[in-house]
Amino acid sequence: MKALILVGGFGTRLRPLTFSMPKPLVDFGNKPMILHQIEALKAAGVTEVVLAINHQQPEVMLNFVKEYEKKLDMKITFSQETEPLGTAGPLALARDKLIDESGKPFFVLNSDVICEYPLLEMIQFHKNHGAEASIMVTKVEDPSKYGVVVMEKEEARVESFVEKPKHFVGDKINAGIYLLNPSVLDRIELRRTSIEKEIFPKIASEKKLYAMVLPGFWMDIGQPKDYLTGQRMYLNYLRKNAPGELLVTSGDGVIGNVMADETAVIGERCLIGPDVVIGAGCVIEPGVRLFGCTVMRGVRIKEHACVSDSIVGWDSTVGSWARVADVTVLGKDVQVADAEVLQMSAKPEIIQKV
Amino acid sequence: MGSSTEEKVVAVILVGGPTKGTRFRPLSLNIPKPLFPIAGQPMVHHPISACKRIPNLAQVYLVGFYEEREFALYVSAISNELKVPVRYLREDKPHGSAGGLYHFRNLIMEDNPSHIFLLNCDVCCSFPLPEMLEAHRKYGGIGTLLVIKVSPESASQFGELVADPVTNELLHYTEKPETFVSDRINCGVYVFTPEIFTAIRDVSSQRNDTATLRRVSSYEALQPATRIPADFVRLDQDILSPLAGKKQLYTYETMDFWEQIKSPGMSLRCSELYLSQFRLTSPHMLASGDGTKSAIVIGDVYIHPSAKVHPTAKIGPNVSISANARVGPGVRLISCIILDDVEIMENAVVTNAIIGWKSSIGRWSRVQAFFTLLITQAEGVYNSKLGVTILGDSVAVEDEVVVTSSIVLPNKTLNVSVQDEIIL
Repeated sequence: MKALILVGGFGTRLRPLTFSMPKPLVDFGNKPMILHQIEALKAAGVTEVVLAINHQQPEVMLNFVKEYEKKLDMKITFSQETEPLGTAGPLALARDKLIDESGKPFFVLNSDVICEYPLLEMIQFHKNHGAEASIMVTKVEDPSKYGVVVMEKEEARVESFVEKPKHFVGDKINAGIYLLNPSVLDRIELRRTSIEKEIFPKIASEKKLYAMVLPGFWMDIGQPKDYLTGQRMYLNYLRKNAPGELLVTSGDGVIGNVMADETAVIGERCLIGPDVVIGAGCVIEPGVRLFGCTVMRGVRIKEHACVSDSIVGWDSTVGSWARVADVTVLGKDVQVADAEVLQMSAKPEIIQKV
Repeated sequence: MGSSTEEKVVAVILVGGPTKGTRFRPLSLNIPKPLFPIAGQPMVHHPISACKRIPNLAQVYLVGFYEEREFALYVSAISNELKVPVRYLREDKPHGSAGGLYHFRNLIMEDNPSHIFLLNCDVCCSFPLPEMLEAHRKYGGIGTLLVIKVSPESASQFGELVADPVTNELLHYTEKPETFVSDRINCGVYVFTPEIFTAIRDVSSQRNDTATLRRVSSYEALQPATRIPADFVRLDQDILSPLAGKKQLYTYETMDFWEQIKSPGMSLRCSELYLSQFRLTSPHMLASGDGTKSAIVIGDVYIHPSAKVHPTAKIGPNVSISANARVGPGVRLISCIILDDVEIMENAVVTNAIIGWKSSIGRWSRVQAFFTLLITQAEGVYNSKLGVTILGDSVAVEDEVVVTSSIVLPNKTLNVSVQDEIIL
């Protein structure tokens, strides 16, 4: 089977992290974001993945692809648009890579999405209804932030899409995971096209679009606040399904769900967690408090500091008695001086780091 | 050790009353402002111990209109400690800065002093009293004022004066003038001969209603002249101004520091000045440590003997820790005053703040202020509102909470972070 991942743009909302690393390779749960999706696709039987991009990828991305082609025994290729093609156009551009004689459906994933990826169940769902296209939808509290998928009452069929509705029409939104028959590609012209505004509504009107409600958690982690919420959900999922990945809650300063690479060192009299991810080679000195935060590879958090609701980028140092809080994002190699305070909420600042 | 002459000296320190020192709230809600600790000692302690250096000092009087019981304990303790007779005299009502002196003239003159010092208790300076006395004797007038040069921009907040550069005679004096008169100002420290009482009596017996150029508020304008009691005499307007230029009053200029402790923010600044003075005059009062047996101490720090500070804490510069305070492991204190019975838990940070009695500061929390806009009075812009975070008594700051540039009134619990707020 084949799949297309819409990798898209420059990841501006995850700056400054994306100044140093292409967004698909920004770590989430100590693993490059895109690897979560590629591994899920492999588990569902996908052997070829096309990455739809809109600019030349840096060497680090090309190396990643080479490495994991080998490791996972999959074919991973790029499809680069030279002009903006929207959310559907890239599928047309990659047409030749997605269609083969087998006539099997192919997956389309949105690269910022994190969830449980029940892709085998989706394949079964698609077989059962036998129509042209399946999408995953997820229930959210605040549907008017997104595009709402209005379902028919009886069947799992999609009736219509409503963008950012003013009053309540439903609480299911497009989760950004599709399973499409090759015939869908015949509907997409090679120009800037929206899959939600143009393609899916047409298929729905022909009663050929079905929606499966995504079990478990879902988050678009393309911006820092949501990234941290997604991290909390992901760690909670691991606690239930793979508790070995997490640190043991101990009287020794670890509470709640904490993931730490085995090469990370945590000092004494710290209080870590809940909802903390610590990357490879990190040094957490004694007396440190970490809560609801991400500490990327190679970071040193010095004594008595407190980091909460923030992301500390690779190789940075947080000084002793410093305070990093309120969805602060530190890029690569940022030095926070001793006893400094960095809080975004009161007066948001952009800290330019060379 | 007295000299052969019988020339005794009496010192009078004006301490004010509850209606004065309101800018010192919320700290003065619990304790009279003169007893608030500066560099580990009550504010009034500093002028009193400066008086001790005056040769032939017979008595120190504290004059104010607080209740007697508020000062009773302190006065007997300080008399014992400094071996100087100190007594608190309560005015039944405010008499003004000169009227208070006059009201107790019989008591003051009991020892037949040749000279009387008058000090304001909320002045922070090096109190060069013996030198002032010597200069006063040479001048031969009825009084000598301590003066200091300040920046022209800030001078208008004080009493501006003009002195003769050769004879040091006070030529002209005006309180808070609208236009620039001089950059020399009145420090609030004086030495007088007993003739001052005659001068005060003469003023109150013939009070004249000379119109002043100073603009008065509507409230003041509507007060009939007869409302001002005959015995309310202000030193500046009623004595210094009229007597200037009559070869009665002289000036002595200090080149050391001088500040007025009008607000809690200034108390932190003045604490710093007195702590650095201790380093020169009484270094045994200051704490030291290198992290092995006792906490690391940086710069000038006062720690009360009964306070407990964990060896992994790092304290200073400019920190005063009062009795029975407990400072936990990994705590960082910079530029702050920690009052009695405060508990600061692990890894917390306190900087540019005053932590009120019995408050508690949670683990990894921060109590801080951005100090950059507070410049001392003598140097330029003086802003009494910004610069220092104040926690009243029994305030609880929960773990990991950040309190920035805020004033928190007593008995409040903070479980969310705040910035630039007054928490009632």
